[in-house]
Amino acid sequence: MGQHRHNQQPICSILPPHIIDALVQRGTARQRARALRTLAVDHTLRALRASPRTIAPSGRRRPSALAEDTATQRTIYNAHNTETLPGDMVRSEGGAPSGDQTVDEAYDGLGATHDFYLTTYNRNSIDDEGLPMLATVHFGEDYNNAFWNGEQMVFGDGDGEIFNRFTISLDVIGHELTHGVTEDEAQLIYFFQSGALNESVSDVFGSLVKQRALNQTADQADWLIGAGLFTANINGVALRSMKAPGTAYDDPVLGKDPQPAHMNDYVRGFADNGGVHINSGIPNHAFYLAATQIGGYAWEKAGRIWYETLLDAQLRPTANFQRFASLTLAHAEKLFGPGSPERQAVSQAWNAVGIAVT
Amino acid sequence: MRIEFQMEGGIAHFPGLSRPVVIDSQALSPEDNNELSRLVEAARFFERPTVASAPRSGAADYRQYTIAVDDGERQHTIRLADPVDDPTLQPLLHFLQARARALRRGGGS
Repeated sequence: MGQHRHNQQPICSILPPHIIDALVQRGTARQRARALRTLAVDHTLRALRASPRTIAPSGRRRPSALAEDTATQRTIYNAHNTETLPGDMVRSEGGAPSGDQTVDEAYDGLGATHDFYLTTYNRNSIDDEGLPMLATVHFGEDYNNAFWNGEQMVFGDGDGEIFNRFTISLDVIGHELTHGVTEDEAQLIYFFQSGALNESVSDVFGSLVKQRALNQTADQADWLIGAGLFTANINGVALRSMKAPGTAYDDPVLGKDPQPAHMNDYVRGFADNGGVHINSGIPNHAFYLAATQIGGYAWEKAGRIWYETLLDAQLRPTANFQRFASLTLAHAEKLFGPGSPERQAVSQAWNAVGIAVT
Repeated sequence: MRIEFQMEGGIAHFPGLSRPVVIDSQALSPEDNNELSRLVEAARFFERPTVASAPRSGAADYRQYTIAVDDGERQHTIRLADPVDDPTLQPLLHFLQARARALRRGGGS
């Protein structure tokens, strides 16, 4: 199991900031690259230390959502192709459809995601306390991305050459909103394996939001993230495949889907915050294997196990794949029993991707 | 002026989009060359801290940019993360993104 070796620091972090800065500006190309990575890591850790939520409270579960107002509170903003957030409010809760397809897709997608969390896991919005859900659409010009800025979702229109509008995929909306859930519950640090877990959790629940909306069982689902995002110019079906990581696209402009499905192919390196969107293929595939082995609707059992794991105070911000896997097993046992087929399916799934659990 | 530009991150990692590109101002049209020089000066690029804008805590799927400029006399590198709403950095970033897109299309600079 080589995955424990991922966590080496990019450069000696006891160097004072002005030395790192000097290396960025005057070092060799190699020194500069390493110093830039250090700055990126350093910034994240500083931001994390500044966050009051870094230290997880002992009991993360809050009172039942049933005791609160669980009504959806959505607000959609239009950035009018600028990069200023949040933009002008164009649709708020209960408002009539705007006639703008992107606005209405975002509104409906947030509604489906809120309904998924509330109905399936009795979770009242992002923070389980009814936090209003905010999204900005038409962000930037030909903007090829969607992101979570720590407070709200942001969707670009795509450039029409590579990408369509980013609200087109319900699982992408579920993915972005789940970043808020993860930040509220586990604060998985956005680097290396903890960052790949952060990404994987968003893919898992993003996919489950879509599966539930389509009323699909695990064997009926496509397990794709972002199907429909690519234009016809691109040789690919989606951003990622949980069923077959590494096969979602192979294109002259985008390159080839770099996701591994097994620890033997774990990608070491600093690109993409240490491979957060790359190595997430491994826990993604473990979830797919567990869900399809258990059968039925994936959100009912496999999803429940993953959700309880995300809420577990023992899941620390620095958790690696091994730790996460062990916790899913503990929750499978707690929910379904030590000799249950569900526990066995989860155990087999992690072992199949090269994470040894018993 | 020589600029190395790299875009990383976003909702997925695309190897083809995250490769650094080099923009040599001498290969640009005179208009684009002037525009690039103006944008670099307007952004006060060489006075910017190395981390010019960083993601806030808890953010995810944001794109990050590394811009290294060598104008023959000065060399400086900065790192940005979305959203970049600085009114002088934003046009420079857009210029570089457009050139990077053209280079990826094989259209040269």
